[in-house]
Amino acid sequence: MEKNTLYKEFGLTFLLGGCIFLFFGWLYPFHLVYQEQYQLFLFTSDYLAETVGRPGGMVNYLGRFITQFFYFPWIGAALVALLLVFLQREMAGIMKRFRNSSVCLPLSCIPSLFYWVLLCDENMMPGGIFALLLVLAGALVYFSLPSVKVRGIYGVVMIPALYWFTGGAFLIFVGLSLCWEIQVKKESGKWVWSMLAAFLLISLLLPLAAKLWLVQYPLSKLWTGAEYYRFRHIFPNVIPLVWMMVVLIPVVSRYLPEKSAKQGGVWFTGLVVLLFGCTGYLVYTNADFRKEEVMRYDYYARHRQWSKIIAYADQKTPDAPLSVACLNLALAKEGILGERMFSYFQNGPEGLMPSFLIDFTVPMTTNEIYYHLGFINISKRFVFEAMESIPDFQKSARAVKRLAEANLIMGEYAVAAKYLKILQQTWVYRKWATHALTVLGDDERIEAHPEWGMLRKYRLQQDFLFSEQEKDMMLGLLLQQDYTNRMAFDYLMAYTLLTKNLPHFQPYFRLGEPLTLQGIPKAYQEALIYIWGLTNNDPSRSIPYPISSTVKSRVEAYRKIYTTYPNPEPMLKSQFSDTYWYYYHFRK
Amino acid sequence: MQKQINYFILFIGCWLCLSSCDEKVEAARHLQEIPVLFPDYTEVTVPASVAPLNFTLEGEFSKIDVVVEGERGSRIHVQHGKEICFPLKAWRNMLEENKGGKLMVHVSVKRDGQWWQYTPFPIYVSEFPVDYGLVYRRIAPGYEVYSKMGIYERNLSDFRERPLIENTLVSGCVNCHSFPMGDPSRMSLHIRGDHGGTVLTSGGSAEVYHTKTDQTLASCVYPYWHPSGKYIAYSVNETQQVFHSFQHKRVEVVDWDSDVVIYNVETQELFSCPQLKAPDRMETFPAFSPDGQTLYFCSAEVKQLPAEYDQIRYSLCSIGFDPATGRFSEQVDTLVSAADLNKSVSFPRPSYDGTYLMYTLSDYGNFSIWHPESDLWLMDLATGETRALDEVNSDNVDSYHSWSSNSRWFVFSSRRIDGLYTRPYLASIDEQGKISKPFLLPQEHTHYYENSFYSFNIPEFVTGPVQLDPREVEHKALSKERKSFTYKN
Repeated sequence: MEKNTLYKEFGLTFLLGGCIFLFFGWLYPFHLVYQEQYQLFLFTSDYLAETVGRPGGMVNYLGRFITQFFYFPWIGAALVALLLVFLQREMAGIMKRFRNSSVCLPLSCIPSLFYWVLLCDENMMPGGIFALLLVLAGALVYFSLPSVKVRGIYGVVMIPALYWFTGGAFLIFVGLSLCWEIQVKKESGKWVWSMLAAFLLISLLLPLAAKLWLVQYPLSKLWTGAEYYRFRHIFPNVIPLVWMMVVLIPVVSRYLPEKSAKQGGVWFTGLVVLLFGCTGYLVYTNADFRKEEVMRYDYYARHRQWSKIIAYADQKTPDAPLSVACLNLALAKEGILGERMFSYFQNGPEGLMPSFLIDFTVPMTTNEIYYHLGFINISKRFVFEAMESIPDFQKSARAVKRLAEANLIMGEYAVAAKYLKILQQTWVYRKWATHALTVLGDDERIEAHPEWGMLRKYRLQQDFLFSEQEKDMMLGLLLQQDYTNRMAFDYLMAYTLLTKNLPHFQPYFRLGEPLTLQGIPKAYQEALIYIWGLTNNDPSRSIPYPISSTVKSRVEAYRKIYTTYPNPEPMLKSQFSDTYWYYYHFRK
Repeated sequence: MQKQINYFILFIGCWLCLSSCDEKVEAARHLQEIPVLFPDYTEVTVPASVAPLNFTLEGEFSKIDVVVEGERGSRIHVQHGKEICFPLKAWRNMLEENKGGKLMVHVSVKRDGQWWQYTPFPIYVSEFPVDYGLVYRRIAPGYEVYSKMGIYERNLSDFRERPLIENTLVSGCVNCHSFPMGDPSRMSLHIRGDHGGTVLTSGGSAEVYHTKTDQTLASCVYPYWHPSGKYIAYSVNETQQVFHSFQHKRVEVVDWDSDVVIYNVETQELFSCPQLKAPDRMETFPAFSPDGQTLYFCSAEVKQLPAEYDQIRYSLCSIGFDPATGRFSEQVDTLVSAADLNKSVSFPRPSYDGTYLMYTLSDYGNFSIWHPESDLWLMDLATGETRALDEVNSDNVDSYHSWSSNSRWFVFSSRRIDGLYTRPYLASIDEQGKISKPFLLPQEHTHYYENSFYSFNIPEFVTGPVQLDPREVEHKALSKERKSFTYKN
């Protein structure tokens, strides 16, 4: 190979891999960790057998194998980059079989670049990359076989194998074989036509055979096979588009005009700039950085990184309900919810304790709130339901870990042991599970644990039925059971404030008297003075609570603007958006 | 070079041979106790056709050595580092030879280089045959949502499990499977969701029905076939779920209202009587007696809900039924009074020989699978005496149960292993009413249950492979057309 071509080849590969690595590692890492939490990859023969026992199961298995490493986003980014680089190299190899010219080389990046764009969707599964890698590897072997008869036999064996391994992507192999025989080898004997007819016939029969004898799936699903997309009833049209590209790019490359050395350089550079430019635009338009932000908050909440949540919110205040809920959780965990909650955008009660949804995302995050409050049974329900709602029927390592923790806290050791032993069969959670198993049944050690011990102390001793409409009642009962549960008090106050339930604020506030607060947090002072002002002419003087002079003077200033101007909202927003009064009057 | 290769091959051969050979149990120290097995198969009674009772031991060990000796000859010796898996053919022969007798199981275990030999324990081989298999629903023990689930058939004489219908094929929950006395050619099955309907099969062909009528509260559930196959008793329930906050309880499935109705398979009509749809009572869980002359059901007073959900208690009742005319008697008999016991009855199941009636008793409500206090009870239908089945009950949930076609075996679901995941247990009952220690449905590998995220719900015996074409069910369930039940006043 010419030195110049070698530079081009490796330069292109390096550029591709580098861009993808930096994008996922630096700009989009939380999409990777998001993927990891919605699967439970086990190093067991049962898991392998269960996963590969259907068309496309092998690429599901390989995709899940890789996804477990997404727990560490930089490793995940490196693996995604590596896979897409392998895809490009295989594509380049295929294209050389059609036309050995560096003119076409940049085109070999197209499937990888396209998949980069696709992976911006958090529901696009990495198994699809393995499907392409496997069928292209199969095609490369096919092209290397010297005799048409050997190729025929190989094809007849490989088509069912590739169907079983990759699902519908096996059609790429069939397409490439057909095109190569006709376009490149220009085979025209009876044998080759019979062989190609056999390829097509087998391709048509495979999904039908699988349907008749092997698995219970709708026929359409058996044509696509693998779980390319998390929602099993959805098969995005872009997937067959990529498959078609993989077949058509080598075919089209044969028709590109040959270039001189100088022209070739310009062409090569121009094509690379064009392709990467277009990809950049597509990535920009397809990447969802709002979701990335929600995932970031969820990740921090999952890993109890409360200060990071607050620091990130200080840079840009969140407005998505789940992000706000994570922020409020962090504020409560740091003991400053009452002090600072209105310094940030508040999304009503849904931004504090989101309602249950039959969905795999919202309850997964919301479980964190119930867990840290001490509503362990509710946390278990939310996380279990989130796991059961995962659209591709996978289990969730994050959920299983939480279920194990919850059962340990509640002293339900047999079921905790079950979950821990399952987690021992994973790569990421093995060490944690093995450690957790050592405390199983040991009440003393669990009670000494800084988190589990505290939550065990908070757990409910009396039963009541969960009610979305009566969260304040539930929080009140939780608080009354253990007055060291400051978070329950803060959530009760915050919930009452956010639902604008002023008649109940004072009675609920008095519930917290045994807590011995060191000063009343700002938001509560603001509510107290406001409520007092509704029935007293001079609230600053007569109020029986220790209200700071700042709050007193601010409420006075607020009152003046509010009562003086016909449209006071803009002025109040600029001066008082961090107050409960502003939330009460102007936030829906 | 050739010599070196030969030595290498010899070395590999010796290594393979040594590694595959059993170690002799030497200088074993005796323990005056029987081993703690998982699953616990010590002193159980099994049918001769049962699949091998593979097991492992609790605790740490490096090897287990097991010798099983039949009292009428034959012997199996198995040694392994993790679990004991008996060879299927040898196991079958041994059980067949020892039908009506017992096997003695000698277990030795190697710990820290020392062999320990436990006191041998018996496994009794019943002379009563058991049915071909079980049909159950595998589903995670969730709250409202379900992931992959389905109805599966398990051959009891080996480890083969066959999906009858899975929700990969028809999205929605599949449930309420029922067979007339274990007859695999007839089945009632319910599909919930967008493609919902009740599937009735006969001789391998299936039809999907819309079972809700203007005169009934809801779609038909909890089916029970009349022995003639001409009728199916269902209940129609308005059900809601509520969730506990307290630690040892999770879900409460509460009926707001319910009635019992009968479906005439031939006329495709539903009918009932005022006694089975009393406005001030909730009737549910119907079951026909094996002679077809009596309908058992559970009945509770309507309460203020959800406040009084834990005050609902169901009595066990019966009413006469004339299969020829489809008419009920006027009188309802209360066989077990909820008020007297301050307990609640669910799942009445008469044995097919007409001797007994098994039911579940819990503190309140009818969804006993979520009640840890649920236990099985047995009523002698000749004397009316009723007793708790202490031989099989555990500290945790023991709930749904079903009889084998010869009434000598029953299967029930229990959460005794971990308190959450339901597993099927089998036990026998002889002519004298003596009940054996129950045994967990054996699996090929002992870690199966530990690794499984599924509960095994509603285990039902079947006398042969179920005749159901899933593609036909798929086709008919996905089509918008449904035959409808009509209600005959």
